[in-house]
Amino acid sequence: MAETITRVSTDVGGTFTDLVYFETDAATGIQTVRTAKSDTTPPDFEKGVLNVLDVGKVDVGKVDMFAHGTTVVINALTERKGAKVGLITTRGFRDSIEIGRGNRPDFFNLMYKKPPPFVPRYLRHEVGGRMDYQGNEVAPLDLSTLDETLALFREEGVEAVAICLLHAYANTDHEVALAEAVKARWPEVTVVASHQITREWREYERTNTTILSAYVQPKAQRYLEKLEAGMTEKGYKGQLFIMQSNCGVDSLEATKAVPITMVESGPASGFWGAAELGRIIGEPNILALDIGGTTAKCSLIENGQAAVKTDYWIERNARSAGYPIMVPVIDLVEIGNGGGSIAWVDDFGKMHVGPQSAGAMPGPVAYGRGGTEVTTTDANLALGRINKDYFCGGTVEADTEALDSALAKLADKLEVSPVEAARGIVRIANSNMVNALKLVSVNRGYDPRDFTLVVFGGGGPMHGVALGRELGVKKVVVPRGAPVFSAWGMMMSDLRRDYFVTRLQDADDAKSLDDLLNHTMELARDEFAREGIARDAVTLVPQIRCRYQNQEFGVEVQIPAGPVTEDTVRDMIAQFHVNYEREYTYTLDAAVEVTGIHLIASSEVGKLEIVPLPKTGATLADATKGRRMVDYATEGSHEADVYDGDRLEPGMTFDGPAIIEDAGTTVVVHPGNHVSIDDFGNIHIEIRG
Amino acid sequence: MTTQDQITYDPVTFDIIQNALQAVADEMFVAQRKTSMSAIIYEVLDLSTSILDPNGEIAAVGAGIPAFIGVLDKAIHGILEKFPLDTIRPGDLYATNDPYYGGVTHLNDMVLAAPVFSEGRLIAWVSNIAHWNDVGGMVPGSMSSDATEIFQEGVRIPAVKLFEEGRENKAVFDILYVNTRLPDFLRGDLWAGIAGLRIGERRILELVKKYGTDTFEAAVTAFMEHGERRARAALKAMPKGTYTYEEEQDTGQIHKVALTITPDEFIVDLCDNPAQAGSSNSSREGTEIAAQLAFKSFTDQDAPGNGGFFRPLTVKTRPGTIFHVEEPGALGYYSEVEIRLFDLLLRAFAHHFPGVVPAGNFASICGTVVGGPHPETGRHYTIVEPQVGGWGAWQGNDGPSGQFSGFHGETFNCPAEVAEARYGLAVDQVALNAEPGGEGQWRGGKGIDVHYRVRADNNFLSLGYTRSRIPPWGVDGGLDGSTNYVEVIRTDGNRERYSFATNVEVNTGDVIRVVTANGGGFGDPAKRAPEDIARDIRDGYLTPERAREVYGYDA
Repeated sequence: MAETITRVSTDVGGTFTDLVYFETDAATGIQTVRTAKSDTTPPDFEKGVLNVLDVGKVDVGKVDMFAHGTTVVINALTERKGAKVGLITTRGFRDSIEIGRGNRPDFFNLMYKKPPPFVPRYLRHEVGGRMDYQGNEVAPLDLSTLDETLALFREEGVEAVAICLLHAYANTDHEVALAEAVKARWPEVTVVASHQITREWREYERTNTTILSAYVQPKAQRYLEKLEAGMTEKGYKGQLFIMQSNCGVDSLEATKAVPITMVESGPASGFWGAAELGRIIGEPNILALDIGGTTAKCSLIENGQAAVKTDYWIERNARSAGYPIMVPVIDLVEIGNGGGSIAWVDDFGKMHVGPQSAGAMPGPVAYGRGGTEVTTTDANLALGRINKDYFCGGTVEADTEALDSALAKLADKLEVSPVEAARGIVRIANSNMVNALKLVSVNRGYDPRDFTLVVFGGGGPMHGVALGRELGVKKVVVPRGAPVFSAWGMMMSDLRRDYFVTRLQDADDAKSLDDLLNHTMELARDEFAREGIARDAVTLVPQIRCRYQNQEFGVEVQIPAGPVTEDTVRDMIAQFHVNYEREYTYTLDAAVEVTGIHLIASSEVGKLEIVPLPKTGATLADATKGRRMVDYATEGSHEADVYDGDRLEPGMTFDGPAIIEDAGTTVVVHPGNHVSIDDFGNIHIEIRG
Repeated sequence: MTTQDQITYDPVTFDIIQNALQAVADEMFVAQRKTSMSAIIYEVLDLSTSILDPNGEIAAVGAGIPAFIGVLDKAIHGILEKFPLDTIRPGDLYATNDPYYGGVTHLNDMVLAAPVFSEGRLIAWVSNIAHWNDVGGMVPGSMSSDATEIFQEGVRIPAVKLFEEGRENKAVFDILYVNTRLPDFLRGDLWAGIAGLRIGERRILELVKKYGTDTFEAAVTAFMEHGERRARAALKAMPKGTYTYEEEQDTGQIHKVALTITPDEFIVDLCDNPAQAGSSNSSREGTEIAAQLAFKSFTDQDAPGNGGFFRPLTVKTRPGTIFHVEEPGALGYYSEVEIRLFDLLLRAFAHHFPGVVPAGNFASICGTVVGGPHPETGRHYTIVEPQVGGWGAWQGNDGPSGQFSGFHGETFNCPAEVAEARYGLAVDQVALNAEPGGEGQWRGGKGIDVHYRVRADNNFLSLGYTRSRIPPWGVDGGLDGSTNYVEVIRTDGNRERYSFATNVEVNTGDVIRVVTANGGGFGDPAKRAPEDIARDIRDGYLTPERAREVYGYDA
């Protein structure tokens, strides 16, 4: 019997729980892939995961690596179904969480509804004691009011206690002592202290992060424990890895301790997949776009690395300031534009697309489930970009009658023909997405011409070429398995932790920087050792956050993971000027200061190495399904060659106009494009003309 | 389809060009924000960018604060008054900070503007305005409450060419560099602004190349018409007539407004107002901005704030008054004059059209400047910051607490942890204001009570707060809020209260207590729901004694 290595990843989404199963034959290197879907099962999400393993006929006992992504944290937050939290903070600061940062994105709205804190004021208590910004104790911790506070918390049914003290990022002693005192007095309650999550300054952001972490902790912990028990029962003997928001996976134990780090894990795995894809195809600079049902998300990957930041907010939009969560999250932009986004005409005759979405129910008009409002998917269908005889991979019969009537109504309001209206929807949707892609590229000083656009999710391949041409990218790549790309990305992830630590100091103080870096690297090695990873197997990449004295914005500068010497510092400052100029277009003859470090610690934990696809000798003709008329919006109607995506093989090439279809998605290839299939089955589209 | 001069244009193309113009204005904003040296630009966001049509009508704005949205059209008009259209050449770049020559606000705000040419004709302007920390004058930071003439407020740049057909006019740069206490900052901020214009020009030319000059110009025209249509639609729904209002100020002076709404005009008449004095004056253009802001909040919050939208608005002023200062009047604290007008207009709306706007808010920039040596590093630091305060209640909602004024938008306060490190002040508390005021069926939001303890000698404090004597107004029986002020608590326990002051000396151990107003209440306190009163008592927003006094509530 042949040795095989089996990797499984599961991804809990809003509607479906996806599974990807990858088996590599150790002798031949041949890889087989299976995918499966089952319904997501709220509130017991672990049941859906265990179900999909059955549906996919996975022999759990033989699985070597299991990676899991879940929306349980973001769901608990957006649905406000978390624990009752009490806050303990430094005397004089219980209102800092209510004042926030004072900003108001909705400029002309005088009736602005400020996002209310997750903890009401009567459950926000204070203790005496003070650290300063250098970590020196100014006044000792005073626990004399703690019993009274905890008595009230118990009486009020508090389930989790969040602790955030001023300057705890610089010295954790008071927080540690306070957390221990709470646990000693009240062992059953969940306790979360800010230093367990982040070592960065800004008390509003850190306090809110701690509160939201405490808010989701009991629920997430229960979920992960049940998942673990279910997997063990099915015979799984390996380690469970949980997808994080920083593009890495982490152990189940570590995730249970700080589950808030899962908050954006879904998008992170897709974008990490794009970065890994770039590595495989030799394109280190990637603009990645994921178009789903209700939103489109994009991120920029430079030199194979996605930027991971701690400037993440939920519910932040043009109407609301939202809530900060200061954990490492991939830098991304999300807009309310997906396949299900509704097209509508305002009182002044202007058409808009999104942000309202038809969702899964009723869905687009053509689903025939009672939807009456035309969506982007409907427009793509009306223009022949989506095959009406192969709608949703042939699983849904397109209700073209309902679509014609809904589109006619919309066209009447605009006083144009239905075709013009459908073209308009696609063009406006594209315009919205181009502007989002500009936010992560040109608005941050990057030139899209240096990038390859990687598109995935159900809608990405349909719009990719039009967007790529508008931006002027080098080429557009549609990865093999674009609709389940997130689950794929998960299998490519390393065990990774990002340590952000604030320390304000002069850049040339090598001794102080050396102490901080050594301490943090030791901490990382210790923590990885607890996951069974040898200390020398941990890859450490230290980045130092530098800026000109008294500025606000700075850049990260990478330094070697060794002792910090005078030479290291000199090189770092020289590199700082270079990095700064690249991002901000100028340099100054001014002193440089350090505001902290960002240490990336990672280790491979059996991630997938992809191998070339075998060739069967099939010809392009074998993959050809026929021809049909397709409306390319600005380029008009053309007769396009239609290819079966599942039968395209490495080495095949052809020119647009063309359509590539498989069960999960449709690739729209415009006139003048040149298509080639690479060794791994990815579709490369060169935009010519 | 839109038909114009017999050419048929596609409306979706117009939408896409209009979206793209917004994206360009935003990109100019981001670029300048990131490259600016001064905290007041990159944090307080005293910065805005615009793309304008050849006549200086705004097509798209990138702004961090609403008060900076309708500024640059007035600046271009000022420039065009001095340089007629037919004298503008490709490669020209204009600068002005002088409100008597297109500068609009005060000398600290520098306007830069460049024409964009395509096919040999002027098709657009790109422009920006940003607050520079120091442009000379009688005090550091250039703004003084003691100034009486503009000459005391810094260097005047009266709409001049920084570049003439691409050639650098080095003399102007040299004059700028020597007329500041912070030459490095000024140099950085100036070049950040120039770089922003160049990005804007490049992007517009890309658009023009793609869609053609004619389509571009037609799209801008259509966008203006769209804005105007929306404003006129809102105007149509309003009760016509003349509505007057007058209000006493902290100074004891009376500010007066007469609003006239006709089928096609919204007239704000401010002729009957006090004579100009000191540095609390606004240019006529600044006055228009405040009126535009109120007009937009009142009529259509979501419409594009372009030139077309403001066409139905007419502002009448009398030269020589605080709302139309004449040369050489000083304008350092123009913003408090503008915000007083904005608040007066909202109050007039509230009075004549009950329910359309909330009760009064703390309505002051509460500009606060603290500086001196850092106790650990010895380096000189300066804080220049506005404050957050309480907003008014409205039907069905208590007012929000701790928000920046209506003139601000995406402005962020400074975290205590950052302030302690950067400025070397100790922040003893960041609390909501516990003073009474603003009670009602729905109560006003809370202001703040923040304590900065000074940790070195020879620090200084300057400030400009209004609503320090006359509190934010309640509506429909709701109570008035409390007031804005700063208290300096000396080490011997003495307390000094300030609203306007320049260079107050503060030393080790002195506490600067920043107090901002609680917003006004809406509706009769007797009608407040008992559960809301009980919740406020439980949350400590209200004492049981005060509950008994204003709500007649016994727990």
